[in-house]
Amino acid sequence: MAAVAVPGGRRRRLRYATERRGVLAALLISPAVLFIGLLVGAPLVLAVYLSFTDATAGSLTGPWIGFENFRHELRDPIFVDAIWHTFLFTAISQAVVIVCAGLLAHALVHAFPGRWILRFFILLPWAAPIALTAIGFLWFYDTQASIFTWFLVKLHLVSATNHPTWLGTPTAAMSSIITVQAWRTIPFATVIFLAGIASIPQEVDDAAAIDGATGLRKFWHVSLPLQLPIALVAILFGIVFTATDMVVPYILTAGGPFNSTQVLTTWAFQTGINSGNVGEGAAIALFMLPLLAFVTIAMLFFARRAEVT
Amino acid sequence: MTDTRDEPAPALLSRREFLKKAGAGAAALGVAGATAPFSFAGPLRYKGRWLSGSLTALTWVHFVPSYDQWLDPWAKAWGEKNDVQVTIEHINNALLDTRAAAEVAAQSGHDLFFNLHPMAVYEDQVINHSSIIKEVEAKVGKYLPIAQQSTYNPRTKKYFAVSDSYVPDPVVWRHDLWNAVGESPATWDHVKAAAPKLKAMGHPIGIGQSQEIDSNMALIAFMMCFGSFIQNENNKPTLLTKNTIDAVKFMAEIARTGETNDIFSWNGNAAANNNYLYAGTASLIFNAISATRTPESGAAGGQYADDLWIWPIPAGPHGRIGLEHLMGCWSIWKFAKNRPAAERFLADLCIAGKDATIQSQLYNFPTFANAMPFKEIRKVAAADKHKPLGKYTILTTIAEKYTHNIGYPGTTNAAIDEIFQKYLIPQMFAQVSQGKLSAEDSVRHTNTAIKDIYAKWRKRNMLA
Amino acid sequence: MTVALRRRMFQYGVVVPFAIVLAFPFAWMAVTSLKPEGQVYEQSKTWTFSPTLENYGYLLHHTGYMRWIRNSCLVGLAVVLITLAIALPAGYALARLAGRVGRSLGVGIFLTYLVPPTLLFLPLSRVVSELHLGDRLWSLILVYPSFTVPFAIWLLMGFFKSIPQELEDAALIDGCSRLGALVRIVFPISAPGILTVVIFTFSLVVNEFVYAITFITSSANRTLTVGVPTDLIRGDLYNWPGIMAAILIPSIPMALVYNAFLNRFITGFTGGAFR
Repeated sequence: MAAVAVPGGRRRRLRYATERRGVLAALLISPAVLFIGLLVGAPLVLAVYLSFTDATAGSLTGPWIGFENFRHELRDPIFVDAIWHTFLFTAISQAVVIVCAGLLAHALVHAFPGRWILRFFILLPWAAPIALTAIGFLWFYDTQASIFTWFLVKLHLVSATNHPTWLGTPTAAMSSIITVQAWRTIPFATVIFLAGIASIPQEVDDAAAIDGATGLRKFWHVSLPLQLPIALVAILFGIVFTATDMVVPYILTAGGPFNSTQVLTTWAFQTGINSGNVGEGAAIALFMLPLLAFVTIAMLFFARRAEVT
Repeated sequence: MTDTRDEPAPALLSRREFLKKAGAGAAALGVAGATAPFSFAGPLRYKGRWLSGSLTALTWVHFVPSYDQWLDPWAKAWGEKNDVQVTIEHINNALLDTRAAAEVAAQSGHDLFFNLHPMAVYEDQVINHSSIIKEVEAKVGKYLPIAQQSTYNPRTKKYFAVSDSYVPDPVVWRHDLWNAVGESPATWDHVKAAAPKLKAMGHPIGIGQSQEIDSNMALIAFMMCFGSFIQNENNKPTLLTKNTIDAVKFMAEIARTGETNDIFSWNGNAAANNNYLYAGTASLIFNAISATRTPESGAAGGQYADDLWIWPIPAGPHGRIGLEHLMGCWSIWKFAKNRPAAERFLADLCIAGKDATIQSQLYNFPTFANAMPFKEIRKVAAADKHKPLGKYTILTTIAEKYTHNIGYPGTTNAAIDEIFQKYLIPQMFAQVSQGKLSAEDSVRHTNTAIKDIYAKWRKRNMLA
Repeated sequence: MTVALRRRMFQYGVVVPFAIVLAFPFAWMAVTSLKPEGQVYEQSKTWTFSPTLENYGYLLHHTGYMRWIRNSCLVGLAVVLITLAIALPAGYALARLAGRVGRSLGVGIFLTYLVPPTLLFLPLSRVVSELHLGDRLWSLILVYPSFTVPFAIWLLMGFFKSIPQELEDAALIDGCSRLGALVRIVFPISAPGILTVVIFTFSLVVNEFVYAITFITSSANRTLTVGVPTDLIRGDLYNWPGIMAAILIPSIPMALVYNAFLNRFITGFTGGAFR
């Protein structure tokens, strides 16, 4: 509290005020709070309200029906399946991402010839706008002209008439969207993991070397625990982004074939927007919120606990 | 592009900039091969004075580009005559529903909104269009039953849209391939018999069971040929019948023996089955004549153009009953800024039905009896030079005899709309065709979902 | 085998396959974009075809592509500025000044991420139309910070926490005001952190799809993510080579930029003062 009392004037008193932590903090935070409150908080409250009403057809009000929307959704097999699909989609794609990004980050941390150009290739999926690359994947998975199919046919692993339809069966379609989601998240996670590795102070490395810890043992006992906080944050972001994002399933499969790749976000969109059941759509979209909030708080708690400083 | 402005006002400069930079002189005229969707901005001055009114409309990018090349200049001329600046926006058809919801939520948007299916769900957000229909009827004859059934709610006695056109839905098939197996798609039994042979040749059938509009139309029409209807004439659900189960089983058989898994992968993409045909793979698809017009134009599949035949929907045990492929419906929002101009525009557009039909190369059929009587359409079709000669004349037969509204024998209503939007019918078929569920179970589950939906909309007082 | 050789094997053994897998789609995009439109479906012409630049020409001259890129860049830049303006002070305050309350507020801010845009876009459409921003880029510039600001605050919080308190305390002892310390000492050191925020924010903006497609209608105002699906899909024909070209054109420069600043990101994440 380095405020020095200097005599005289409103100006000085104002300066004094901004020296106080609380006041300055409030001043600096208030634009953010205001902004988020208005543009996220208010619509969120409205959405919660809508989920308890029978609002239809794009309107923002409706007759109150309590928990009926939620009860109705739980009776709907498509909704229940969507919960499972969301879980599968998020868990598998992020598991793949974590493993791949972890490996990549460790490999990239030290310089080697060609690292710059290889890093460029690795960053491409994240640099490209996902809405566009998803459309690009429609082309890669196209029923007539899929390059993957052409490869397989060339290698005589499948016949031209009996080729796999990448988006045509539930398993294939789910695998495809998981692949694309993992593909585009790996660079992002790699960068964050790299940051985590880079944050390990040199002294720790040196100490480990002196103690004879190398390779896998060093990884397990030294690197991993130190990277955990950042790794957890990366995983958390990945989970949250994937669970709340609809671009990949929407563009690639529109939830199909026969609703077998509907995730909660796309089903909420389908129900609430395209079919005009706004209240139901809100209920579906909100369903994830408590679960995600729980996961978030849990992971942040562990991340803080894991901080080793 | 003739620009009659003398001095550009500051607000208009960016539009002019855009017109110059994006080479959108073509967009302004809507001609000369500008096939990209565009925003049409009519001239703002006409005969030396500023146009006083303003009208905005949203419509799709027509699958037959010549229609848009007619519509935009027509709208511009209309604007000049009526002292209104008309702006027509064209977007991808897949985005129309989302945009409609956004405009309603925002309570602001385009004055006129077009969609490829009647937006029964938005009935409360649009005006009653009966005055427009009366006005047009006075000029070009009665509003056809198919249009009436599609855009009228008997419970609220309200016209929630005006259909300016409908599109007959034929099967488009490769005559050379079917000839090679000695078959033709006269009945569904014929199709089932030919399917395995065609697939063996590497040219499977291509009737979609995906989550997109073409699959919806094809499968619902197919069901009707088997006597299976989603609702009856009183708009009460009637899905769970033996006919439905038979239909599902039949289509599953065709899928198993004569189609590949491609038909399940066309989700969100109404043009996928078209492209299946253009690539030479499909031996039969269920589609409007854009499937023949595009090859004819040379844009894709040109080498097959002469072998593509157009026939009505194959007959089933219950007869030959088809749906329209698309129902072009315009709605005017209650919050439209220029309702009088919108009503005028819509009326005049319907009155110009004959031009629309001709300019869309017989894709759009007028919804008012005398706009272009079937006889006239047949004459134009007979004069069509594409091979085999006279192939388009069947369209009038299809339109007259085999085309009905979605929800036949009832009306198109919000419940049907929701069933449509959630693709419950393709789901019902696809689950069985892929062997995931038995036909009985699939139909039963879908029936439960459908009854649920009907009950919901009935409670909201939107169903008779 | 020496340690160095083993490490090299590990590095190449991991990075090269990943680079191939991650970048292969782009290679195929490039090949497709060079094909004449009629030939893209022909398997016989997978690799042997006469390359042409006509698709790029079409993209640049006959569509609003350059305009969409311009719109995306404008929106991106504006959103980055707004985000920095809001998040920098907030991040600093939460990291330094607000203590326990600050941490909870930080978590609270992060929780806003859990709300899917599919839910928010209906109420936001109303907000946009009330403010008469419909079909204008300002609507996006207003709405996008709602998801970039929380992320930026998070990044900056972590970053500021890692700047040693001693630097500011020294400044304060020397008679600098708190605000002065913030502006004169902390912000300059934060350059890597700020850079990180700029890049992540820009990438979030450019990736956004749902709001862009609902708030913007006219062709002239479209951003990249909207213009491509709406204008390059003409009715029933997907202009695949054009679409591929449209994806490549922005991706390569952006990846180059990210790559060039990667080292600075990493220090941005971890606080710079150390490594």
